[in-house]
Amino acid sequence: MKTAAVMPTLKDFDDQAFDVFAANRSFSGDTPDPYPLIHQKHAEASVHAGSYFSLFNDQPDVFDLAGFSQYMVFGYDNVTRILLDQETFTNHEVFQHFVGRTFGRSVTAMDAPEHTRFRRIFQQAFLPQIVGKWGQTFVEPVVNRLMDRFMHRGEAELIHEFTHLYPFQVIYSQLGLDEEQGPIVQRLAEAQLLNMIGLPQGVEAATKLGEFFEEVIAIRRAEPGEDLISHLANLEVAGERLPDDVLIGFFRQLMNAGGDTTYRSTSNLLVALLRNPDQLEAVRRDRTLIAKTIEEALRWEVPILRGWRYVNRDVEIDGFLVPEGAVVNTIRGSANRDPAKYEDPDRFDIFREHPVRPIPFSIGPHVCIGQHLARLEMTRALNAILDRLHNLRLDPDHPAPYPVGHDARVPEEIHVKFDVA
Amino acid sequence: MKRWMCMNCGYVYDESQGDPLGGIAPGTPWEEIPDDWKCPDCGSLKSEFEMVEL
Repeated sequence: MKTAAVMPTLKDFDDQAFDVFAANRSFSGDTPDPYPLIHQKHAEASVHAGSYFSLFNDQPDVFDLAGFSQYMVFGYDNVTRILLDQETFTNHEVFQHFVGRTFGRSVTAMDAPEHTRFRRIFQQAFLPQIVGKWGQTFVEPVVNRLMDRFMHRGEAELIHEFTHLYPFQVIYSQLGLDEEQGPIVQRLAEAQLLNMIGLPQGVEAATKLGEFFEEVIAIRRAEPGEDLISHLANLEVAGERLPDDVLIGFFRQLMNAGGDTTYRSTSNLLVALLRNPDQLEAVRRDRTLIAKTIEEALRWEVPILRGWRYVNRDVEIDGFLVPEGAVVNTIRGSANRDPAKYEDPDRFDIFREHPVRPIPFSIGPHVCIGQHLARLEMTRALNAILDRLHNLRLDPDHPAPYPVGHDARVPEEIHVKFDVA
Repeated sequence: MKRWMCMNCGYVYDESQGDPLGGIAPGTPWEEIPDDWKCPDCGSLKSEFEMVEL
């Protein structure tokens, strides 16, 4: 792919010993299974005072610190109703304190009509017919290169050797970034949301990525390539280019949302199949099951268990009055495992019919822009694993993996064995 | 293959599958979907859809 030759240097954390991955674990917690508590709270009531994070620790979150009253909302119908009603439940008032502080002028922190305008422009670059072409050009080369490194060994640890690497490397390729800077990009990208728990490295990471992308945008305007930055930086809509702060906000968020959630979702997909060898074998034999398998994995372990909205008028939710000015925590983990919608909802079952649409990537005007890319990446990764890792199984010499955390869940390690041809 | 796609989120309407959860039976042609039907993924109106080549 043709990209501009010059590349600015991305600065690492001032404290180079800062362990972003350990900090992220503290952000998302080490809860082995939050779902029993989610089910219990949902059974007690659909709406509870307090934040979702307060169920798992006693530290105030960024919305507590901003002075909001918080409420948790459980259940598929309640969660989808909130996320679809952008007149009552808005984003800017709440997200300006969170992603607005790190990503800047992000579409997540916008409401209509500004949100509608910018979202549509970015979504154009991520429509199914566009990302469908990236499977061969971007995803497969990365997937195969990473797998080549451990194919000969007959064993691997799939988190650190594969799932934690491939979505980020796909993004570097899309953006035409220097692969040697990949590890720093990934550290900074994953640190950006740490301002949620008050760590200064969140803003530091966003600042450094912002300065970096500002330089890259200027370079790609002067000498465009065929990469996504060149495309968006030079795109004209109604005779105007996208504002730099909106572009920078988008690229900051893309590094995080596009890399981190796909890494977690692919890891959880593999855990689900490895813990259910009969289902792993079924999908290996019949690849038409892959789409259903991925949808079920995304339902079973939703990439992010909660989402927030600002309440801009007094509103009744399932009989509970939630006052204007509050923040509602929509518990997507509750929606996707609502026992009123899914029979035996905690069971992973690729053969189950979904009586309602799971909402792994949210629903409504802010539904994930990158959902089609995430599904494509997971599909290509799973196909490659099924094709190349024969007799894939968990390594009995290591503890069985399970996702941990109460927010964005992922296992720490997945040790596997397979036959070497 | 040409399909109707939501320009706000990329949801694709497949006539053979319809949108049963949204009250649209499998096999329903695009032209017969009511104007007040909304995209199941993002809630956009039918008017926000465009015909695209997939």
